[in-house]
Amino acid sequence: MTATVTTSLNKLKRYRWLNVAITLGSVWGCMMLLPVRPPGMELLGVGPSWLLIWVVAWSINRNVVDGAIAGLILGFLQDAMTGPYPTHAIGLVIVGMLTARIQKQRFIQEDFVSISMIVFGMAVVAQTAMALQITAQRLIQVGVSYPQLPEIWLQHQRIALSSAILSSLWAPALYYPLNRWWRHYTRVVAPPGNTP
Amino acid sequence: MFALRQWWNQHALRTALIALAIATAWAVRETGASPIYEVYRWVTSPLHPGASRRDVLASSYTQELQQQIVELESQNRSLRQLLDAPRAETGASIPAAVIGRSAGEWWQQIVISRGSNAGVQVGYVVEGPGGLVGRVIAVSPSSSRVLLISDRTSRVGARVSRSRATGYVRGRMGQQVIMEFFDKMPEVREGDVVVTSSYSQLFPQDRVIGRVVSLDLSKSPAPEVTIELTAPLDILEWVEVVPFEPSEAPEDAPPAVLDSGDGLTP
Repeated sequence: MTATVTTSLNKLKRYRWLNVAITLGSVWGCMMLLPVRPPGMELLGVGPSWLLIWVVAWSINRNVVDGAIAGLILGFLQDAMTGPYPTHAIGLVIVGMLTARIQKQRFIQEDFVSISMIVFGMAVVAQTAMALQITAQRLIQVGVSYPQLPEIWLQHQRIALSSAILSSLWAPALYYPLNRWWRHYTRVVAPPGNTP
Repeated sequence: MFALRQWWNQHALRTALIALAIATAWAVRETGASPIYEVYRWVTSPLHPGASRRDVLASSYTQELQQQIVELESQNRSLRQLLDAPRAETGASIPAAVIGRSAGEWWQQIVISRGSNAGVQVGYVVEGPGGLVGRVIAVSPSSSRVLLISDRTSRVGARVSRSRATGYVRGRMGQQVIMEFFDKMPEVREGDVVVTSSYSQLFPQDRVIGRVVSLDLSKSPAPEVTIELTAPLDILEWVEVVPFEPSEAPEDAPPAVLDSGDGLTP
């Protein structure tokens, strides 16, 4: 009896570490994918927003706070890889919270198409947050003569559209394996009917 | 109070882990992403452009042109000595492969395969086949990040090489950039070559930027022209990093240049 409990505890511990490794590893993989532009991953000079796809995949079965925290951390990491202003954290926090808020059971079936649609919408939201920050900087800082407002929003159209299309097309490639693992993990760690 | 303590007992570890993760991410953000780009360079190293391209670059034709340039530069130097106008010497350039693009959609950056181990420093100027490409803004041991002149925050002091009309070039996130003139009636026409000006503090002077493709001289507050960059920023594979120390502002420069030109606003 004690032996079985110990082995299952050991197994649980191993699963926990495996889960941490897979979660962190997938974030790391997304960051490695950000600067590459192989054929099929570029549209009008813009690549897929891998970190945004990750935040959506993470938040879709979690609560609002978890989504916001993931968005904040990944936003900071993407800032580190580009530049401090405008920050990606704001957009990704909004994305994490919105995705967690969507009443999936009621409105959306969980399949590739709906995931792609959520990612499409969220990419537009995130890029709008970026454009709003640049607009705010332009309006608040007097010395900045560029970029002019119409130019920002023209760029926003181009970037938001191509980023949304590419991200939604690549979303299942990340969402499917990650979510499959997380569901498997939840089932092993906290089986239904045996919850503490 | 009791409820708060109970909550803390249950969630202390989780809260601590979350705080640690956020603090780490913030630290990475503040210190720059050099470990990330180090691993990125290592992971992508099998995909870097191979030596054959380097051979193409160093073909005999290029060498011949380079020798001509050396000859012309030495002539130029002796002529300048006669004129008593010293020119900043630039050291040997460092060739580097382009191994990545910008990690965010609102930036125009490239990642190159040489870093501080090869002597690259922040502020060095990057040139590609065709002309000026940008400047180094972050360095890790074996890679560095370059802000392209097409970035929306990039400003380069420039002049039309034919008429010496000065202004500055600002990026528009594409192969075409805008040049704004300080003069109300600049002498410029389509096809003119634009080079960096001597007022530029972040770039050496007389580096080719591009060619004028369209004019909008009635534009207020300053007349502006559109310039097609001669360096093909989208398909760059090899670039050269040129050592350059950003200079202090020349004392006799017009104030407008110092205010609005040449800087890279954060």
